[in-house]
Amino acid sequence: MIIREFGLRQGRNALAAPLRRGQQCLRALSTETSGTPVATADPAVEAALQTNPENPTVPSLFARTAKPTRRRPVAPDTTKADWETAQQMRHNLRNVGAQVEHRYSPSDDVTLELLMASQAHMGHHASVWNPANARYIYGIRQGIHIISLEQTAAHLRRAARVVEEVAYHGGLILFVGTRPGQTQIVTQAARLAKACHLFTKWTPGTITNSDKILPGIPVEIVNEHDQPIGGFNQHLMDRRALVPDLVVCLNPLENFTMLRECSQANVPTIGIVDTNTEPTWVTYAIPANDDSLRCLAVIGSVLGRAGEAGQKRRMEDAKNGKVTWDTPSEIKQFMEIQQKRARWAKRAADEEAAASDTSGGLNGNSSGGGATKDSEVFDESMQELQMEVDAANADDVSPQLRKMARRTD
Amino acid sequence: MSSLRTGFRCLRDIRQIGKVAATAQWQPTSKASLAYRPKQAINATRSITTTAPRLAETTTTEIIPSDLEPADQDQSAVVQVPYARAVPVSPSYFSRKPIFNDAFVIVQDLARKYARLPIIPRDKVTPTAWRTKEQYRLAVGEHVKGRDYATCMKLAKRLNQIHPDLMPEEVTAGLLPFKREVNYYLNQPKIQPIDQYGRSHGVGKRKSSVARAWVVEGTGEVLVNGKPLSEAFGRVHDRESAVWGMKLTERLDKYNVWAMVSGGGTTGQAEALALAIAKALCVHEPALKNPLRRAGCITRDPRKVERKKHGHVKARKMPTWVKR
Repeated sequence: MIIREFGLRQGRNALAAPLRRGQQCLRALSTETSGTPVATADPAVEAALQTNPENPTVPSLFARTAKPTRRRPVAPDTTKADWETAQQMRHNLRNVGAQVEHRYSPSDDVTLELLMASQAHMGHHASVWNPANARYIYGIRQGIHIISLEQTAAHLRRAARVVEEVAYHGGLILFVGTRPGQTQIVTQAARLAKACHLFTKWTPGTITNSDKILPGIPVEIVNEHDQPIGGFNQHLMDRRALVPDLVVCLNPLENFTMLRECSQANVPTIGIVDTNTEPTWVTYAIPANDDSLRCLAVIGSVLGRAGEAGQKRRMEDAKNGKVTWDTPSEIKQFMEIQQKRARWAKRAADEEAAASDTSGGLNGNSSGGGATKDSEVFDESMQELQMEVDAANADDVSPQLRKMARRTD
Repeated sequence: MSSLRTGFRCLRDIRQIGKVAATAQWQPTSKASLAYRPKQAINATRSITTTAPRLAETTTTEIIPSDLEPADQDQSAVVQVPYARAVPVSPSYFSRKPIFNDAFVIVQDLARKYARLPIIPRDKVTPTAWRTKEQYRLAVGEHVKGRDYATCMKLAKRLNQIHPDLMPEEVTAGLLPFKREVNYYLNQPKIQPIDQYGRSHGVGKRKSSVARAWVVEGTGEVLVNGKPLSEAFGRVHDRESAVWGMKLTERLDKYNVWAMVSGGGTTGQAEALALAIAKALCVHEPALKNPLRRAGCITRDPRKVERKKHGHVKARKMPTWVKR
């Protein structure tokens, strides 16, 4: 849309603004006509016009009014050099300063001192306690419950043992910490133990309704050395979603749904139980302060290290020819069915070849009878095969690990 | 109170475990995730001696390989391995959004690792075409929550502010999933040329008219479809519209215009011509673009004849209501 008044008013202001363009522009902007109305895009002509002393090169109007543009000199960017110098200086000055004689160096063990330093003993206010935790509580100080660190250490030891053995037997471990700030703890533990992690909300039904919640999320088949094997595409398309063999939960209070699903699916759980948490929600409770990230980091890394140790043992054993886990029944059945199919296909091919040979040599009658008999046998066996396939699909056998990891006392 | 160690003397020492690099279970992500594992984590060999002395190797689960005898060697397609188990490809398997959460974990680790690198102010950063939440969802195929994506993008933008000379390669790689393939901020407008005869070409449209104008330095002659302006447009208003851009910038006597207009009526043709001339003028003098834009000569007027709808008499007019 053409704006007439506005244009007349504003256009002149805009024209009077200082120009940053070079000589050609100024020439074009001038109101003084240059006598020769020729198109002068040709550089030679342009140059001739510019150098001609008779024609004034710089039109007066805008050259006079235009202010010189002020430009600050640009300082060279020395950020990289400065940063490297600073790093170098830090490195050089590292040993300068007072000599510290006695410094605290944590031992390789998790000690009661370490647990206390990480505030594992701090419970909740005595009024919000869960009486089921009475056996984990040492006493009351200033109105809050103090958790007995001996209990914590003992339970932590047991839990770590469970994690290690599950990892050793090729189980799938899941570390869950859904409060803000627990992401790093959970991911690091999972990285160590080659496990899974969850730091966002647990989708209700991930175990009990996994056919709807988890389809299409990639799974691969690995051998005893954890190297992926091909040839299972059909199985991977048909199989059901994975279920963890052990769940470690840093905040059971917020994850009741998950713990409930785990107990329904017979998945053992490890949970950090504060004085206000119900300890029966989890299979293996670790009484500790679940509100301190420091405490959670200690416990999480202990369990992660335990998983790492288990994985390492498992890999070493696999290298020596000892495999600590059994092929899950659904994969075993898939492989058997594959083999059976191949066998039958081969037999059918052989019989076809034989039939064509006999029909070539003898009369067609007898060979036809033989073929029908063969095909009947083949059909029967295919039916049998189909039944087995159905059984395999219906079968929801969890690995033996869960049985192993279940509480034995 | 004595430490746990006194009670655990019988237990195995697993101090050496931390020094052994973990073999990758997660094949696709292992390189990325292990690459920036914090140093502290590797050195933190402190761990509880939770391992009891290994019992004389548990025989219950021991299985000797090669008990599954292959049935027939001919079929190469059939898998014949003694041991196979299913593991998730991503450690974020149970979160339902494995791709996003893996990328998010990487971004978080990078943000933690490179928090101390010098940054440049936001307005100095090269403009980056980030994926919006919807674009990311489309690209990845996961229904990422807005809150999670916003948290992730906050970290990603902070990482992107790292000084370009010091930008680590892994940061560039880690931010890649959140960037669009084409950074449209780096697109440059094509520079219109002035041809060898000193002509510049501009095209303008309005309503259903199309105008092409060639502008050359001259004395102010205007030819529209071979006719002078006064013959081409009968109405004074239209004549004024057609050369409005030149008139307002006081260029009427400095350029010659040769134009071809087609389609539509006189108003449409005149204003299409104004647009075409303004564009061609800008090629000669780019500094004129701003005043021309303010005068409304650069903007294409998108209004067109509205289509007629069924149930209406015209585009919007409804039939007269008749009582039965």
